[in-house]
Amino acid sequence: MFRRILVANRGEIALRIIRACRELGIETVCVFSEEDRGAAYLELADRAICIGGAAPRDSYLKSDRIIAAAEVTGAQAVHPGYGFLAESAPFAEKCRASKLEFIGPSAEAMRLLGDKATARSLAKKAKVPIVPGSDGILDDDAETLKLAEQLGFPVIIKASAGGGGRGMRIVFSADDLLSTMKQARQEAKGAFNRMDVYIEKFIEKPRHVEVQILGDQHGNLVHLGERDCSVQRRYQKLIEESPSPGIDGRTRRDLCAAAVKLCKTASYSSAGTVEFLVDAKGRFHFIEVNTRVQVEHPVTEMVTGIDLIKAQIRAAAGEPLEFSQRSVRWTGHAIECRVNAEDPEADFRPCPGTVEKFRPPGGFGVRVDTYGHDGCRVSSKYDSLLAKVIVHQPTRAEAIRCMQRCLREFVVHPLKTTIPFLSRVLAHPAFESGAVDTGFVERTFQSAEAVV
Amino acid sequence: MLDIERIRKLVEMMVDNDLVEISLRDGDEEVSLRRPQVGVPGSLPQFSGGPYPWSPANPGGPAAPEVQPTAPPAESPAEQNPDEDLVEIASPMVGTFYSASDPESPPFVDVGTRVSRGMVVCILEAMKVFNEIKAEVSGTIERILVKNADAVEFGQPLFLVRPG
Repeated sequence: MFRRILVANRGEIALRIIRACRELGIETVCVFSEEDRGAAYLELADRAICIGGAAPRDSYLKSDRIIAAAEVTGAQAVHPGYGFLAESAPFAEKCRASKLEFIGPSAEAMRLLGDKATARSLAKKAKVPIVPGSDGILDDDAETLKLAEQLGFPVIIKASAGGGGRGMRIVFSADDLLSTMKQARQEAKGAFNRMDVYIEKFIEKPRHVEVQILGDQHGNLVHLGERDCSVQRRYQKLIEESPSPGIDGRTRRDLCAAAVKLCKTASYSSAGTVEFLVDAKGRFHFIEVNTRVQVEHPVTEMVTGIDLIKAQIRAAAGEPLEFSQRSVRWTGHAIECRVNAEDPEADFRPCPGTVEKFRPPGGFGVRVDTYGHDGCRVSSKYDSLLAKVIVHQPTRAEAIRCMQRCLREFVVHPLKTTIPFLSRVLAHPAFESGAVDTGFVERTFQSAEAVV
Repeated sequence: MLDIERIRKLVEMMVDNDLVEISLRDGDEEVSLRRPQVGVPGSLPQFSGGPYPWSPANPGGPAAPEVQPTAPPAESPAEQNPDEDLVEIASPMVGTFYSASDPESPPFVDVGTRVSRGMVVCILEAMKVFNEIKAEVSGTIERILVKNADAVEFGQPLFLVRPG
C-alpha cells in the first residue's frame, strides 16, 4: 500500500481524497495554485505544495510540476481527481515513467475508451448498443451528408476528443450540415486540440443513465449500479440519483451488463463510468465512457456502502477487489444536488466571492461534500461547484422530502447559489413522478420567473 | 494575547538545546511547540510558503518548529517587513534546490556575491532535469533563503538581492 499520495486537484474532490487517504493511514501531499493558497482544506493534508499561478494551465494542468511535486515530497502515487489531468493518457504515462503510480486506469484503456469515436467502435464490436451514427471519424463530406440523410435529421456532431458535455452541435437540416461541421471542427481544435468529429442520430427527450464500474489490476471488474443524471442544464448535471426511476429491472440488468462487457473489452481497471442515453421506448444506447471518478460518485457510495476512492487507491496499489459482483448490495434511494455559486435568476452567471456564512444541512442520511466554510473564498478561476448535498433514504419519496428539507436549511451568504432553483426542480411534478428527460430543465425553466 | 517575542525566544531555546517538545501554560493561555525530528523516516520536507500560519523561512538552521496553539487561538505573527529595497528571486518551478553545479564545486553564489542579469545563481532539479536559474536583476546577494538539497515549491523565495 502506498505510504504517501500526491493529490493533484483542488476543492471538494481534493478534500474527498485527503479524507480517504487519512482513513487508510496514507500520508497526503496536496498541490495548490497561488489562487488556492491558504484554503482551509489544505490544512487537512499532511503537506501542501504550491505548483503555480491561478490559471489552471499555469498550475493544475502543469503535469511536469505535479510530477516534480510528487518526487520532491516522496509520494508514491498521484490521484488526479476529476477534470484537469484526470483523463490525460500522456499524464498517466509520464507518472508511471517517473515511477509514480497513477490512480486510475492504464493509459491504453484511457486512450481506447476516452476517445469517443474509438469507444463507439469498441462498443459496436462488443455488441453493446450504440446510438446510430458514423463508423469512426468523418473525413468525406459527401459520405457524411449521405449518412446524415440515412440517419434522419436531427443529427448531432460530436468532437472525438470532447467530453463533459462540450464539443457537440445539433443539426436540424441537410442545408446546415457541412457548415456546422466546419464550425464544430474549429471549436474542437480550439478546445481539445483535435479536429476529429463523428455524428450520431440525435435522440429526442432521452434519459441520461450511467453505470459505475470498478476494476482491479487482476482482471476483476464489477458494476455498482446506475445513476440517473437526466436533470441537466446545457449538458451540466444538476441532480443525480440512484436507482434510476425511469428504467425497469430488465433494462437495468442489460445496461449494467453492457457496461461491464465494454470495459472488460478494454481491460479496464480502477473506477470509471459508462454513459448511456435511454430513449422514449426504453432502449438504451452507449454514448461515452468517463475514465475517471466522477463528481456524482457519492450517489453510488450511499446506495452500495462502498467507498469508491478507497477502492480506487486499493486497486492502484495492486490489491484485488474486496467484493464480487454477487456480493454487491443496493439499499434505498440516494439523490445528489450540486450547489453551485451561480445566480439562477441571471442565467446562472457564476458568483465568486467570499462566503461569510456557510451553514450546511445535516441529519439522518445526509452527507455534504464541500470545501466550504465560514469565510471561504469561491474563486472565479475555477468551476462554481461549492457543495454537493447527498441524501440517502429508504424510498425515493423520502429522499426527495429529505433533500427539500436540506436545501431549506442550507445557508450560503451572501453569494447567490443554485439552491432555490434546485428546490423548484425537486418540487416539479415531472421530477416527483420520475418522468424527466435531459431537456426537461431547459424546457420547463426557460427563465427564472417561469411558473412551475 | 500570545507574545510573539516570547515565542521567538522559546524557539531559539529549543533549537539551541535541541529540544523536541515544549509546553507552557500561563493562566488560561497555553502554547505547545513541537519540532519535527530531522532524519526520522516519514518526516516530510517543509515549505516556507505552506498553509501553516507560523512556519518562517529558516535559512541555514535546523527544521523550524510548528506552533500549535491550544485555546485561545494565537494571533497571527506580526508580518516580517521585508526590506523594501530587496528583490526576491523566486522559484519558477517545483524541484530540488542545489547551490552548486555538482557536490565538488563551490556554490554559484554566497552572501555578498555580486550578480548580474543572466548570471546563474542556482540549479533546480526536477524529474532528472537540471535547470539553471538565472538572476533577473543585477546587485548583491543579501540573503540565501534555502539550503542545498531543499525541496522548493513554485513561487518560493530563494534569494534576496540588493539591486545596484
